[in-house]
Amino acid sequence: MNRKIIAAALAASLGLCSLTALAANVPAGVKLADKQELVRHNGTEPDSLDPSLYETKPANYIASDLFEGLTRNGADGSILPGVAESWKQTDPHTWVFKLRKDAKFSDGSTVTADDFVYSWQRTVDPKTGSKYTILHEFIANAKDIVAGKKAPKELGVKATDKYTLEVKTTDVVPFFPGLVAMGNMAPLKKEALDKNGKDWVKPGKMVSNGAYMLAEWVPNNRVVLVKNPNYWNAKTVVITKVTYNPVESDDTALKMYKSGEMDWTDEIPTGIYASLKQQFGGELRNTPWLGVYYFNMNNNLPEFKDKRVRQALSMVVDRDILTQRVTGNGETPAYSLFVKGTSAGTPTTYSWTKEPMAQRVTEAKKLLSDAGYGPGKKPLTLKITYNTNEMHKKIALFLASEWKNKLGLQTSMENQEFKVFVKTRHDGAYQLARNAWIADYNDATSFLDLVRCGSAQNDTFYCSKTVDGLIADGNQQTDAGKRTAAFSKAMELAMEDYAVIPMFQYAKARLVKSYVGGYTNTNFLDDYLTQDFYIIKH
Amino acid sequence: MWSYILRRVLWAIPTALAVITICYVMLHLTPGGPFDSERQISPAVLANLQAKYHLDQPMWKQYLYYLNDLAHGDLGASFRYADWSVNSLVAQALPVSLTIGGISMLIALVVGVILGIAAALRQNSAIDYVVMFLGNIGNTVPSFVLGPVLILIFAIWLKHPDGDGWLPAGGWDGGIRYMVLPIALLSIINVATIGRIMRAGLVETMTSNFIRTARAKGLPLRTIVLRHALKPALIPVASVLGPLAISSITAAVVTETVFALPGLGKLIVNGASNRDYTLVLGLVVLITLIAVLFNLLVDLVYALLDPRIRY
Repeated sequence: MNRKIIAAALAASLGLCSLTALAANVPAGVKLADKQELVRHNGTEPDSLDPSLYETKPANYIASDLFEGLTRNGADGSILPGVAESWKQTDPHTWVFKLRKDAKFSDGSTVTADDFVYSWQRTVDPKTGSKYTILHEFIANAKDIVAGKKAPKELGVKATDKYTLEVKTTDVVPFFPGLVAMGNMAPLKKEALDKNGKDWVKPGKMVSNGAYMLAEWVPNNRVVLVKNPNYWNAKTVVITKVTYNPVESDDTALKMYKSGEMDWTDEIPTGIYASLKQQFGGELRNTPWLGVYYFNMNNNLPEFKDKRVRQALSMVVDRDILTQRVTGNGETPAYSLFVKGTSAGTPTTYSWTKEPMAQRVTEAKKLLSDAGYGPGKKPLTLKITYNTNEMHKKIALFLASEWKNKLGLQTSMENQEFKVFVKTRHDGAYQLARNAWIADYNDATSFLDLVRCGSAQNDTFYCSKTVDGLIADGNQQTDAGKRTAAFSKAMELAMEDYAVIPMFQYAKARLVKSYVGGYTNTNFLDDYLTQDFYIIKH
Repeated sequence: MWSYILRRVLWAIPTALAVITICYVMLHLTPGGPFDSERQISPAVLANLQAKYHLDQPMWKQYLYYLNDLAHGDLGASFRYADWSVNSLVAQALPVSLTIGGISMLIALVVGVILGIAAALRQNSAIDYVVMFLGNIGNTVPSFVLGPVLILIFAIWLKHPDGDGWLPAGGWDGGIRYMVLPIALLSIINVATIGRIMRAGLVETMTSNFIRTARAKGLPLRTIVLRHALKPALIPVASVLGPLAISSITAAVVTETVFALPGLGKLIVNGASNRDYTLVLGLVVLITLIAVLFNLLVDLVYALLDPRIRY
């Protein structure tokens, strides 16, 4: 047992316990509106509201209001106590959560440790058909259960008593309290599911334990939640009703915002950031997002087996112009798959980023020439594949233009419909392909899967035993500093190998009415719970 | 007449079956499956999902499963929206499309016919030019341009004192406020079509021999138009009513997108892009039935308009 980690975990847990776990933190002097109702744009229809089944962000926004895990995300991105009032890592592979005794489901029954065991076992059971098991897979035996090799009851979680939950993990996962804040990890009331079957998620039948209850759900139209009087912290919840609008068109959402039908938008239409900033000023909120836009180079192809080619292509792309002139939504240039805000992972950059572009171009041409491509040598023609979308098209055109103007390379483009595109990428039937990753949880490991040998998310087919060794080492590190160092080194090596071409870090830009209180610009995972907001008198 | 109707209804069955079969094959031949996504699914989970939807069976067996469910009125489970059956998704979307499409068709029919008559009877006059101009606007300006213009004027520029727009820019709660703009948009497009066809039909009818005879008899213009010219002039209008009604109700994709309406058009687009086979097929069945119904109604209207047509 490592003393350092236990001491750190204890200190962390004590620190967290000292937090007041307030929901809406209304500053003194702020006058609240009589009507505390919020309308949130939600991008698209949730694929499900069942914590074991949903996998999309729009569903998670709603589910995080309906269900509460052992912890929850604060508006500023911090991890706050949820159903658990304290937790500690008793050894490198064991977490123990102490549940509060006043946590209740919406039907008034008490939330117990068994409800978590039931929920998590249900999710990892292949018979449930959950497509999103990545959070649960940090628990011992989960991967084998998901693969159908072990029974769900062998999952490394048990209720040692009614209010104590013990979790065994495969790796050392210091970020586990953050994982259990996701709606997918919430407790479920078995009786409600058994009684109503598939319909248990419908209004009037859903039993949930979050700050809100499901009042209405009209597919493709709206999901309405009302305050849950049985929520343990209900007295601090100010918003009494929240409506989620699944409007797919950002243009329509913007018009609805302008006409007063929405209090915030999920996104803003592309290409009009500057004009919206001018028109709305402080209502346009922009937060760095834990996500990176990048391009895959199919490392299985002969031309990309040569690192010099990969490097040449990456170093002539001017990310500053790309983010300022092409995307223009507040994105920042990226030279690593780790981005600003990544926990246990330091973003790296290349030495050539400081060089003038002319010098970079000269070096890139030499690299290509040394690799056997260029005038008088083999021709290098490129094909960029992307899924149908105006922004992806613009970015691909920019890339083609950079390579044409600076390296004289001919680039063709192929756009595919999304379902076709993801299959093309997974199958490796491409040369260069657009890619992007939004972190599921805030830890370096979420990004490292993109370059780990054989990972299901590694569509670029890059593989380095050294990088994998560092990742494996980091996964078992009990010392936070050493863990970060191992992961950072792993990513640095992958980036030195030019595994992919990182382009930019996403920014989450949205419009939020000035009378909506509680919004922060530090929530890098963009997990905003309605209970943290309030409507100011206006 | 009744035997004709029965025959037409019975013909709908093989027609629907043919459409379903073609769509079924096309959907399954399209690259990319319902469970392809950014994140790859565990093979064991995928196997269970495929078994749940019979996707692990040969295509012909899947087809028979589908037909069997269909025969029992079950359109199946949605692949994408795990919590909903296709029956319930369709049941919630259909009233929206029927309301918007039905009302706009009625408005378009009444207004289009009146404007068409006025333009035909006053050829090359100011009213004719105005109707023709409006007709051109309605026919040529795309609804994705006209819709946002309506929103800009009535939802964003014109505001109540509390800051909200006169009318909602989008969304749907079944109230009249939410219907006005989408119905206006669909009506404008359909009025333009019906108005122009009505005008052309009446102009042609008014040059017919039997109208010349009526004029020679000294009948007043009103009588000539209402008793003699109107019915035959309406036949071309009746011909386009079927396709117009079907597109208004089932394929108003742009209108539903512009106004964020939870109707059938939006469902079918989402269904196709998500490879939600059962959802798309369910909507195909519904649209086929609506098409058969409207075409039957149009044929019956022919008989009313032209006594020479008998079934």
